Amino acid sequence: MAAPPARARADYDYLIKLLLIGDSGVGKSCLLLRFSDGSFTTSFITTIGIDFKIRTIELDGKRIKLQIWDTAGQERFRTITTAYYRGAMGILLVYDVTDEASFNNIRNWIRNIEQHASDNVNKILVGNKADMDESKRAVPTSKGQALADEYGIKFFETSAKTNLNVEEVFFSIARDIKQRLADTDSKAEPSTIKINQDQSGGAGQAAQKSACCG
Amino acid sequence: MWRDPGVSADSFYEIRPECTDVPVTRFKIKAGKTLSARKWHAAFTPEGYLDIGKTLSRIYRGGVHPSIKGEVWEFLLGCYDPKSTFEERYQIRQRRRMQYATWKEECRQLFPLVGSGRFVTAPVITEDGQPIQDPLVLKETSPAKGLAVHPQHNNSPSSMDAANNLEKVTDKAVVQWMLTLHQIGLDVVRTDRTLVFYEKQENLSKLWDILAVYAWIDKDVGYGQGMCDICSPMIILLDDEADAFWCFERLMRRLRGNFRCTESSVGVAAQLSNLASVTQVIDPKLHKHLEHLGGGDYLFAFRMLMVLFRREFSFCDSLYLWEMMWALEYDPELFLMYEMPLSASEKAEGSKGKTKSIRQCGKYEREIVKSGAKNAEAPLPMSIFLVASVLKDKSAKLLQEARGLDDVVKILNDTTGNIDAKKACSGAMKLHKKYLKKVFSATLPHFPYLSRKSKLHDS
Repeated sequence: MAAPPARARADYDYLIKLLLIGDSGVGKSCLLLRFSDGSFTTSFITTIGIDFKIRTIELDGKRIKLQIWDTAGQERFRTITTAYYRGAMGILLVYDVTDEASFNNIRNWIRNIEQHASDNVNKILVGNKADMDESKRAVPTSKGQALADEYGIKFFETSAKTNLNVEEVFFSIARDIKQRLADTDSKAEPSTIKINQDQSGGAGQAAQKSACCG
Repeated sequence: MWRDPGVSADSFYEIRPECTDVPVTRFKIKAGKTLSARKWHAAFTPEGYLDIGKTLSRIYRGGVHPSIKGEVWEFLLGCYDPKSTFEERYQIRQRRRMQYATWKEECRQLFPLVGSGRFVTAPVITEDGQPIQDPLVLKETSPAKGLAVHPQHNNSPSSMDAANNLEKVTDKAVVQWMLTLHQIGLDVVRTDRTLVFYEKQENLSKLWDILAVYAWIDKDVGYGQGMCDICSPMIILLDDEADAFWCFERLMRRLRGNFRCTESSVGVAAQLSNLASVTQVIDPKLHKHLEHLGGGDYLFAFRMLMVLFRREFSFCDSLYLWEMMWALEYDPELFLMYEMPLSASEKAEGSKGKTKSIRQCGKYEREIVKSGAKNAEAPLPMSIFLVASVLKDKSAKLLQEARGLDDVVKILNDTTGNIDAKKACSGAMKLHKKYLKKVFSATLPHFPYLSRKSKLHDS
């Protein structure tokens, strides 16, 4: 049987796949909802397994389609969620600034990435719920920054509720990935991004396509 | 011909007015179709024996009236034997309520917030058993937070103090259990929040208590995300907390396998691979396409199976779907099977189905008994065929438009609020029939699930 054609509708120049990970309840789905729909709801809902949302943004005159996968935070579902690591080009590591345990766990999440994601995957550290009263804060900004520096990754404090830095986080990681893809493309060897879950319509093709055309 | 357009049942499960983006309910209470309180009560003899066969087809036709859902569910889920008297059931109920109280007290001894009307959303213990004096935990447990509830055990030391002075825990089972408590709390505050019912703190803590007690008595499963969604309706339908617990416990007998996890696997994977086998038989083209897209693991159906379509339907419609499904699956031996110890009942699955009254079986169960599938192995639950029927329904779209797994997820997500529970059920019934016919006919396709099954069947 013939393979289905690669995405025929070129409604974007780059397709970038992102993944949100972090402890349960840190606000991954809320960040995503804020970014994709521009809304915030107080009728929170747990993520069962995985889910995703799409938003197309424009960067330096290019249309970037962001496909953002959201995951369940509970430890026991890690075998399910890590299946999606391999296809991710960027990973947002989210913790809750009012929950120290969620911050301490970031190291475990990073170990997970090292085990299951592509080596060159972009990472970004996100401390969510930054709108909360200072008396509730358990992780000072400096601690978040120090951890990010240790891993050599960017860091933002966000609030899905007040829309603080949400755009900035997603744009920042998208920009870095686009840059990386452009760099790889400009070399003779096209980047081979192994996409486990999405072989036929994957981001690799989109990135390569743009390399040919532009 | 005059047809009853039906009455909306949404008023029984009131939605918070500010929540405007909830899926619409299709279920309607229809005279002559929906199982009414009158019809239900008429199915009992004066001593209390229930002719459940009489009610099953009606439940399948029109669901159960909200005013009697709780008591009907207790039978559908096997809490009680229809072949018992009012008195016998009263005794069982009392015994179970006491049992629940005992378990709950055990839990309270281990963690004093159980039964206090409050709960935690931050970890209370480290993996090595060291209690966490996390400020968030203290806040959650502090009455100063203004939660409108009062500790029930006024004679014991204040639950707050007790919770804050925990000593290092050495018992592994207790550590394991305590590690789940904040996860339950985190999920409780995110369950069915569109319902007015859960604006009440006491209902939230009821949900937390039941799940905490369940995690304690079923240590293999503990607590897994999604169990909140499954438990929530029980609390709404059954006023007594212990009764709600038992109804949930019975439902978990069917579902606990999905939540049982090891380091490298999630229980539901077994059902997902069954789904793959079923789809391969009834819609080979679609199966091939999904496999080609890298979706051969059927992970995209994870949520549907884990929370039994709670996310694809409105609250009201998911209850309707559940009761239709259980009426179709009804097996009059459920009660006896569940009364056996857990390990024995799992083994007994295969050996039963010889003497029971077909008339008292649901339609789905009858097909299984007739086909002889029951003697082979634990038969496939109807939920598999429900997912298969949703896939089948979207088959053309999936084949035409899905170019990646993201498209598959999107197409399936778009079904939210757009599936008709009744149609999905009849679709599932048809597929099940077709599947049994194909699988148990002489020629057997060559793939592991079927050949394993057929071997058992032959022996």
